[in-house]
Amino acid sequence: MRFRTDFAKRYLSSRYGLAGLIMFLTMLIMALFAPVIAPYKPTDISHDMLSPPSKVHPFGTDHLGRDVFSRVVHGARVSLTVGFVAAGLSALIGIVIGALSGYIGGVFDEVISKIIDSFLMFPVFFLILIIVAVFGRNLVYIMLVIGLTTWPSNARIMRAQTMSIKEKAFVKIARANGESPTRIIFTHIIPNGMYPVVANSAMQIGGAILTEAALSFLGLGDPSVVSWGKMINDARSYMSFAWWSIVFPGIFTVITVVTFSFIGDGLQQALYPKLSEVRNE
Amino acid sequence: MDVLFAKYLFRRILSAVLLIVLVITINFFIIHLAPGDPATIMTGLENPSPQIIEALKRKYNLDKPLLVQYFKYMTNLLKGDLGFSYVYDQPSWKLIGPRVFPTLSITVTASVLAFTLGTYLAVLASRLRKKFGDLIFSLISYVLYAMPSFWLGLILILVFASKLRWFPTSGMFDMRASYEGFRKVLDYLHHLFLPVFTLLLIQLPVFYRVTRASIVQNLREDYVTVLSAVGLPNDKLFKKYVMKNSIIPAVTIFGITLGFSITGAALIEIVFAWPGMGRLLLDAVFRRDYQLLLSIYFLMAVFISVAMIVTDIVIAVLDPRVRLL
Repeated sequence: MRFRTDFAKRYLSSRYGLAGLIMFLTMLIMALFAPVIAPYKPTDISHDMLSPPSKVHPFGTDHLGRDVFSRVVHGARVSLTVGFVAAGLSALIGIVIGALSGYIGGVFDEVISKIIDSFLMFPVFFLILIIVAVFGRNLVYIMLVIGLTTWPSNARIMRAQTMSIKEKAFVKIARANGESPTRIIFTHIIPNGMYPVVANSAMQIGGAILTEAALSFLGLGDPSVVSWGKMINDARSYMSFAWWSIVFPGIFTVITVVTFSFIGDGLQQALYPKLSEVRNE
Repeated sequence: MDVLFAKYLFRRILSAVLLIVLVITINFFIIHLAPGDPATIMTGLENPSPQIIEALKRKYNLDKPLLVQYFKYMTNLLKGDLGFSYVYDQPSWKLIGPRVFPTLSITVTASVLAFTLGTYLAVLASRLRKKFGDLIFSLISYVLYAMPSFWLGLILILVFASKLRWFPTSGMFDMRASYEGFRKVLDYLHHLFLPVFTLLLIQLPVFYRVTRASIVQNLREDYVTVLSAVGLPNDKLFKKYVMKNSIIPAVTIFGITLGFSITGAALIEIVFAWPGMGRLLLDAVFRRDYQLLLSIYFLMAVFISVAMIVTDIVIAVLDPRVRLL
């Protein structure tokens, strides 16, 4: 418990961590209460096409007369969902595989490490692209594919954590007491070693949001949802006379991704206070 | 070049070959297990007759079992045959060849600039430590790091091409002018500027942050304490020792970036209508041109592996400790 309060204190004492948390909560409220905040339905079309920002339409309207502000607010739902589900899946797979690989060792560990290295060297975006292009443009697929292709960095972190924790006294005692390897991994190693993976996951949320935006921009996004990438793609042909339709969705993407970078750095600083001492000195 | 280093290098080459085989295998099976029959797509018809499909399948060996196709493909690769594009009805290398230079002229230029500028700014920022400038630099790097490359490209087009008219909006040459000689080169550079600038801004924060973190870490090392305790002037200490050690992570990333450079920056190429490799790759994805896709992936894997090995050698020269691993 003490560890947790200390951790929270350290996190909040970091400039970036605090800023990230506040920005994230704002974003979350925007996504949760999107229908209340947005003055129009995101799909409502009107005769008021490509009109510049005004009191009626704070961010202007797009080529179908849809309110850009309402669409941006609703887009937050898609981005946050994609980010959390994809990064969550990636963390889950990475933690389990990394812990198994580090704990079991031997040939198993070598094979897994080779696979991790290959994945990390490979531009995963193209793999995601092919899979989405051939299997279908569906938000669920997109989230699954991003999660299934980005776990290796988490696995690598968890593997290193496992290797160091498994030499600690409490694990040795547990082993001497006859606890099964599964129990040791899930009750001792993972709960004690997963924090760096959590910090990495915050970064991965931002990465997943950018990947979804890129896919939508290429026309490979889910056609049934309102997403920032798709808005940018839609607005491309009109951008030279309707800058607002392309600028706002982009700015919100940047803010969201920055938010998760801040949170990731805050967690990192809370985890390794020594590093941040040097940084803030 | 000692025996240890030769051994180390041999291990790296072996794992590079392994990686190439693994990448090609994974891609081959993903692509071939995907729904959607290439023969049907190739006909380009709504309801192609079974005879056409049959003939096409026989022509391209698509009627054989998957494993047979796989071994056939692998042996062809060993013979130096990259593959054959169904869609264009041409050997893959004929399609890839003309794309290499345009792509590399964007990616390599941008990476070299990003590496130089990124490490330089990091050194500059660490000299400014504790000052306002450092905070500004790091905020900018956060924002650039979060920027979708395609959006940044579009915004730059909007500002510098549509509004200010300093640069052309897209393409590689001015189609209406058809310049020759030196004017043509100038026209090319004029078109090259915005895509390179976009990619530079996207890559800059990576080099900046890595070098910045590495400098901070290096300053804590014992050798810094010792050398400054024995009275080495700070400036000399920094220039002679800290800087050299601190750029090693950036060199690694530079190597990886160069490895990836062959596939181009697909999204940026799309935005600027640049006839490069990335666009060929995306086209191949959308048209299910499996063979062409595999050829590009193969080339990419080879490029990345070679870049990795070269990077390893460079780092071993910079940091002799690595050789002992």
